[in-house]
Amino acid sequence: MSGARVLEAQVGIVGAGPGGMAAALHLARAGITVVLLDEGFRAGGQIYRQLPEGYDAGHRISEPPSHRAGNHLLDAVARERIRIVHGATVWNARPGQIYYEQNNESWLLACEQIVLAPGAYDRCVPFPGWTLPGVITAGAAQVMVRGFAVAPGQRALVCGTGPLLLPTVTALASAGVKVVAALEAAPRSAMWAALRGVIGNGARMREALFYARSLLRRGIRLQWGASVFAADGDGRVQSALIGKLDQQGAPRPETARRIEVDVICAGFGLVPAIELGLLLSCAARYDAPRGGHCLVVDEQQRTSVDSVYAVGEIVGIGGAEVAMAEGRVAGAAIAARLTSVSFDPRLALHARSERRAADAMLRAFQLRPGLFSICKPDTVVCRCEDVTSSQAAAAGELYGRTTRGIKMGCRAGMGPCQARICGLNLHDIFCDGVEPDLPVAQVPVKPVRTATMIDVPRR
Amino acid sequence: MTAIAAATADVVVVGGGIIGCAIVWQLAQRLPRTARIVLIDRGPIAGATSGSCMGHLMVTPDDAQEYAFSHASVQLWRELQDQQGGFDYNPTGALYLADDPADIALFANLQAQFVACGDRAEILDQQQLRELEPGLAHDLPGALFYPGDGVVLPMTACGAMLRAAQTAGPRVDVLPYTPLTSVLREGDRITGVVTPTGPISSPNIVLACGVWTPEVGALAGLPKLPIVPRAGNLAITAHHASPIRTQLLEISYLRFAHGAATVDPTLIGADQGGHAVNMQPQSLGGCLIGSTRQFRGMNRELNHELLHRALLRAARYAPGLLDLPIVRTWVGLRPFSLDKHPLIGPWPLLRGLWIAAGHEGLGISLAPITGQLIAQQMLGLPCSIDHRPYLPARVVA
Repeated sequence: MSGARVLEAQVGIVGAGPGGMAAALHLARAGITVVLLDEGFRAGGQIYRQLPEGYDAGHRISEPPSHRAGNHLLDAVARERIRIVHGATVWNARPGQIYYEQNNESWLLACEQIVLAPGAYDRCVPFPGWTLPGVITAGAAQVMVRGFAVAPGQRALVCGTGPLLLPTVTALASAGVKVVAALEAAPRSAMWAALRGVIGNGARMREALFYARSLLRRGIRLQWGASVFAADGDGRVQSALIGKLDQQGAPRPETARRIEVDVICAGFGLVPAIELGLLLSCAARYDAPRGGHCLVVDEQQRTSVDSVYAVGEIVGIGGAEVAMAEGRVAGAAIAARLTSVSFDPRLALHARSERRAADAMLRAFQLRPGLFSICKPDTVVCRCEDVTSSQAAAAGELYGRTTRGIKMGCRAGMGPCQARICGLNLHDIFCDGVEPDLPVAQVPVKPVRTATMIDVPRR
Repeated sequence: MTAIAAATADVVVVGGGIIGCAIVWQLAQRLPRTARIVLIDRGPIAGATSGSCMGHLMVTPDDAQEYAFSHASVQLWRELQDQQGGFDYNPTGALYLADDPADIALFANLQAQFVACGDRAEILDQQQLRELEPGLAHDLPGALFYPGDGVVLPMTACGAMLRAAQTAGPRVDVLPYTPLTSVLREGDRITGVVTPTGPISSPNIVLACGVWTPEVGALAGLPKLPIVPRAGNLAITAHHASPIRTQLLEISYLRFAHGAATVDPTLIGADQGGHAVNMQPQSLGGCLIGSTRQFRGMNRELNHELLHRALLRAARYAPGLLDLPIVRTWVGLRPFSLDKHPLIGPWPLLRGLWIAAGHEGLGISLAPITGQLIAQQMLGLPCSIDHRPYLPARVVA
């Protein structure tokens, strides 16, 4: 128990994705010492995920045009020699202190200011068979393809909703996976709404065009208003039942058909990873289109806690461009605080316009309530505690129809994921008419060894 | 299940924790089919202390009265398991541990107490302890094993009690998220309660609000009841193989927990807090770790320092814990009664008002017998054990 494992920096940043890296770059160029903490092996976050160092996949995974900005950022961060701690699990934080576990060691990053850029979690609406091996999230598919150059299967169904489906389809296809079907749960009108939202945003238009061409070249047609209904197989996924959705988003059983696949990549949007912010007592609010509870920030990305800033998905799902723009704002705002440089308000204007475009897109892809009826009474809704939909419904009936009541009645949401996976689903399926309970932030925000919690470095 | 349907009742129980649920369960077994019982809570069922505590079913052999009280309750828990189930009931027994020579001498004392109550407990040597719990530190000198204790999951036990009540005969309405806003009375008797969804007329109200009982009692015009919160910090591991199969207690727990308090409990800030290990294996393979105690008002922030000490101590006994991931930590508030005994029975100055609160860390263990004593007294039936030490009349100035 040395208690000596302490890093110091003027600014500690959680997350080395586009938001965290943009903030770090801005700060480092202003002469401010920065440490980036990241769970991954390499910088880039979920979106600009890189293969492990020195790893040759033998084939090239196609990259959308937006990744050029990510590559520039990665290069710049490397040139500035910004310190990145990889494989770091942040488990506790208070203003000025970030506690993390790395290689089974307990560390403290002591810093004056904190930037939270932890990203988001995949959301999956539960459907029969979704716990079978071979059903993975859209995010997991990206990790396998971009992070390890591994194809998750031979024949894939990609389903869910939102702008992340297209990168998933192209990533899988470029890794040699045959995409048998690509189903978007939103109606076709969402496409026009989303396109209207991005008109005038050149980068987003180019991105949309890239994906359209990419699908066309491979003969993959995105089906609107359609979804997976069930996954089937003996011990692992062998087939999927798919079909069309009605006006409310509910499955139309008469359209159901079975397709043979060995992997299902489901992505029903993303949920902001706000737990560190809650632990730091940052104010949060519920914003359904932005993915759930989001931290509240001012125009300089400052949270309700003076020394804590938040950028990217934690403020609301928005994608890499938003995160990068907000990261620059937070970096500039902190630089203005710690040095004599003044804050350039144009950065904030740019971030706001990126956020507006993202919001328009998200509104178009909101989950429709009918979709939750793909979840059947015996479908598992909480995977950690193995709770079925009917058990959760019975718990809500007796204990109170809130996520908290359901949790008390059947332990849904009490396992290692601490309701990150099931929380919003429990609300949307069972708690009609009430706003979701704000999640309670409890240490550790991610599971860490008891030894890590005991052997806390002190200052 | 609406407040309108339940606008009249024979009993309104205020508080959906383990005590309130046990009262509903025990009343439902004794009231006629035509009777109505209503349970209200301002939050979800088991949303406060009963949703943030350990689940120890503990027989306490301090004296014949305490033994009868706790033993009868643990028996009722077994009946609920046979009748209803669904709350991870696990009759593990309890292993009392020590590593301090002064504490080791306590094994024989505690064993003698169990024997004096007509029960039994076994002193294990190093070898026997190793066979029973191979995951414990190998240098431990031995232990005392008492087979009569057990573990339950309190949150789901609340529901099991309510479901048992709903099938017993009388009508039982459970109304979560229904706070008590005022108490209706005529002269010296209770006539009902008021909630945001309307009044419920009833000749009987039971206050089973744990640490909030003084606050709720004030709504009924009661003087400040002598119950104060005593915080505990807890941690739980992921569903890996727990390093233990039996519930573990440091024997020093006995001089530190429950009634014992070395500071004035009403002086917030005076108590530095203390800890003695209590570890419970969980049904899905996790391990629940307590127990710390500190008087510091309603504060539910984690005391990192105290929890740190408790985890260190737990790892002293079960070293395998060091490598297990902790999933979460939290704080629960025990209702500590200033004279160290719970308040169970009628409030003598207001007919129809009943109190059941102040069980400190034994609320889960003692809930069934508490429910039974309330039901028996309310219906004028003979009590299954001597109920007089717990009557609230003793705190009427």
